[in-house]
Amino acid sequence: MDELEAIKVTFFQECEELLADLEGGLLAMQDGNDDGDTVNAVFRAVHSIKGGAGAFGLEPLVRFAHVFETLLDAVRSNEVPATPDLVVTLLRASDVLADHVSSARGLGVVDEAVSAAMAAELKACTDPNAAPAPAAVVEAPVFEAAPVAAAPAEALIGADDALDDDDLGFDFQPMTITIDEQAADVAAAAGNVWTVSIRPKSDLYRKANETALLLRELARLGPIEATLDASAIPPLDMLDAEAAYATWTVRLETEEDETAIREVFEFVDGDCDLEITRGEGLSADAALAALLAGETPAAIAAPEPVVIAEAPAPVVVESAPEPVAVAPVVEAAPAPVATPVAAPAPVAAAPAAAAKTQQIDVPGPGQSVIRVDPERIDRLIDLVGELVINQAMLAQRVGEYGIAPSSNLAMGLDELEQLTREIQDSVMAIRAQPVKSVFQRMPRLVREVASMTGKQARLVMDGENTEVDKTVIERLSDPITHMLRNAIDHGLESPEERKAAGKNPEGVVKLAALHRSGRIVIEVSDDGKGINRERVHSIAIKKGLISPELQLTDEEIDNLIFLPGFSTADKISDVSGRGVGMDVVKRSVQALGGRISITSRPGQGSTFTLSLPLTLAVLDGMVVDVAGETLVVPLAAIVESLRPKPEEVRPLGPVGSVLAVRDSFVPLIDVGLTLGYREASPPPTEGVVLLVEGEDGSRAALVADAIHGQRQVVIKSLEQNYQQVDGVAAATILGDGRVALILDVDAVISLRRREPPRPVEPTLIAAE
Amino acid sequence: MPQASSISVLVVDDQLTMRALIRNALQQIGFKDIREAPDGEEALKNLLAKPANLVISDFNMPKMDGLALLRAVRSHPPIRQTAFVMLTGRADRELVQRAVQFGVNNYCVKPFTVQGLRDKIEQVFGQLT
Repeated sequence: MDELEAIKVTFFQECEELLADLEGGLLAMQDGNDDGDTVNAVFRAVHSIKGGAGAFGLEPLVRFAHVFETLLDAVRSNEVPATPDLVVTLLRASDVLADHVSSARGLGVVDEAVSAAMAAELKACTDPNAAPAPAAVVEAPVFEAAPVAAAPAEALIGADDALDDDDLGFDFQPMTITIDEQAADVAAAAGNVWTVSIRPKSDLYRKANETALLLRELARLGPIEATLDASAIPPLDMLDAEAAYATWTVRLETEEDETAIREVFEFVDGDCDLEITRGEGLSADAALAALLAGETPAAIAAPEPVVIAEAPAPVVVESAPEPVAVAPVVEAAPAPVATPVAAPAPVAAAPAAAAKTQQIDVPGPGQSVIRVDPERIDRLIDLVGELVINQAMLAQRVGEYGIAPSSNLAMGLDELEQLTREIQDSVMAIRAQPVKSVFQRMPRLVREVASMTGKQARLVMDGENTEVDKTVIERLSDPITHMLRNAIDHGLESPEERKAAGKNPEGVVKLAALHRSGRIVIEVSDDGKGINRERVHSIAIKKGLISPELQLTDEEIDNLIFLPGFSTADKISDVSGRGVGMDVVKRSVQALGGRISITSRPGQGSTFTLSLPLTLAVLDGMVVDVAGETLVVPLAAIVESLRPKPEEVRPLGPVGSVLAVRDSFVPLIDVGLTLGYREASPPPTEGVVLLVEGEDGSRAALVADAIHGQRQVVIKSLEQNYQQVDGVAAATILGDGRVALILDVDAVISLRRREPPRPVEPTLIAAE
Repeated sequence: MPQASSISVLVVDDQLTMRALIRNALQQIGFKDIREAPDGEEALKNLLAKPANLVISDFNMPKMDGLALLRAVRSHPPIRQTAFVMLTGRADRELVQRAVQFGVNNYCVKPFTVQGLRDKIEQVFGQLT
């Protein structure tokens, strides 16, 4: 019983993959790729879901899948043309099928009306001439008897159509065979020919044995043909007279069995590598290649019957054994007769590879995949995190003892650091996954949102294979969902508006993932109307989010939509509304150490950019002192560090000042003041300046009191352990065991630039 | 009367679930030596590396389908007498007829029960013990 439950779990996992295949195939068809293979793959996905569902008695799922499959079968056989409209219908049907799967799994409810309407639509497509069935008609059950998953002996396996008789109603006599016949066949095909490969080791000669004697012994069993492979013998100057280089391959014809052959080598056992193969010694690979080459893949038009079906029951396979010399023969012994031949490796590899291809989409031939409980990996990552901290502590202590960097101890520690880093990278790579798993849920979302809002939208995806830590992937789904909804609902115009603006009525929404400077960037862009800045600005003022006097750049206006309490939709739509604004998205992204921003061009569309760290586990940072506190500044944000000269610091307005860095002026930000560690800033010339660059490219000069150096730190979430703090991304534990805060550079810049939304300081605008 | 435990079986189906279900059924019948392959090509590799007494194969699979697998098996002398039972849906009558031409030993219409599968195998090997 438990076993069946386990198989059921497998089935649902497999359904996920099949549904993804189905959608992928349909999308390929939508792009005009409707060759037989694609259509067949689509058919097979639905067919497989139905088959498995039948075995577990998932009646509603089977019923819907059956209708779906029937139509796909008609498409497959070109009875129904795969028009673009039909493919759209099929895509919608795949969504309903996915709902049925979720429902069967107990993870949701199917809207019966939607399902019935969809089924009716599919039927109408299958047979356009049939009178359209009323949507509410209940499907006739596909089974006459419900399969009983509860009673394993009765369980139906691979349910397909009706369960009545088990033959297809034509004359067919099952062809009998015995195991002995099979074994005889194997032996007959192999004949009495053996291939013996002998590769003496030097010990064989040292013990005064002689290959010639062995060959003579072999010849007593039957005629032999020996071939010497001397290719391994090196040139004379490199020859070791006592080493063994030669290999003999012997073709032996004998009535004796393998034991007799082995006996010849009894006295050199262990002193030579011996391979005894029945047959001509043609490798399985070669035989396979020959078979595959002679085989037309799927559909074979003109069969050459190997066997005569009308043959009377018993002996079925007309096996006039092929002439031994010609037949490509593989070592073969069905049951116990163990033969220590090349066979084992492929045998073991094949099932593993088989299981793998179902799960992993990048299978290299012959490589195997291990499934590991993610908890074990998480534990490993935690431990490696501790290792990193520990290593840092050790390095710090050693430094405190004043041990010379050139000492063995210090050099050993350096190596340890190197190694720790490599371990960490390798461990993190284990948990990296392509963002595909999140992306593949999006086409459906786009279809649904578009139909709900009356827009026409096409989703273009890019960079699905971009890898990112699993913990990050899990949290990408919500922000992406929201950004996509927003892009369709608020970004894209209605088809009429688009036509009027001279655009294609179908809007394009693009979802892309890429790596940029150690982070993953997700971009959601649309080719819609762009942000109506005037309106956004006036709404923000009306809602008291900003002061009317505040001068804002276009970019700053665009990003007002992330302010809490901002919503442009006059009527809260069912789609983007839902009570969650972009501010919530922004906050959840920030909690992950990420950032979100928007850029927009009127009439041409908007782009949301979401950037997240590749991992939530570690960070390269610069440790600095500010007003007696230790802070970590993410290394990725730092451009350079410098000591400002008095003439480089220029005042700007009553409180602000800027730093002249080569040709440009950069606002000076005292981190201590911004985070509230102190009331007044010391002169910047007394401290150290870190020139940093924010995600949007804006620069700032952060003033700190001292720099301690570069360190890799393990990120500990502040939110999980305390609460979110403005300007702080997370916390970490330093080598000496103290807690240090990790600075959120962008937040510090924007805190300073636009001192929180309400009290407005007009002097701060110099930043741009 | 052959013993089920002495008959080696290769289950060929592109669906993991179906392979697991068939394996489960075969175990209930008493089979011990059960191998699996996800398509015809893998199955053929598997058989060439180590022959099996019985192949239970689905028809519609990627790469090499069940019919092509059957043909390949029958054209290779050392494994040409491998018992071959094709799994099929009711709709695939024509396929079965072609499989018969190629020398299939028996076929089994989905859905089937454990007993149904046992009957089909026994029709080929005789009563199993």
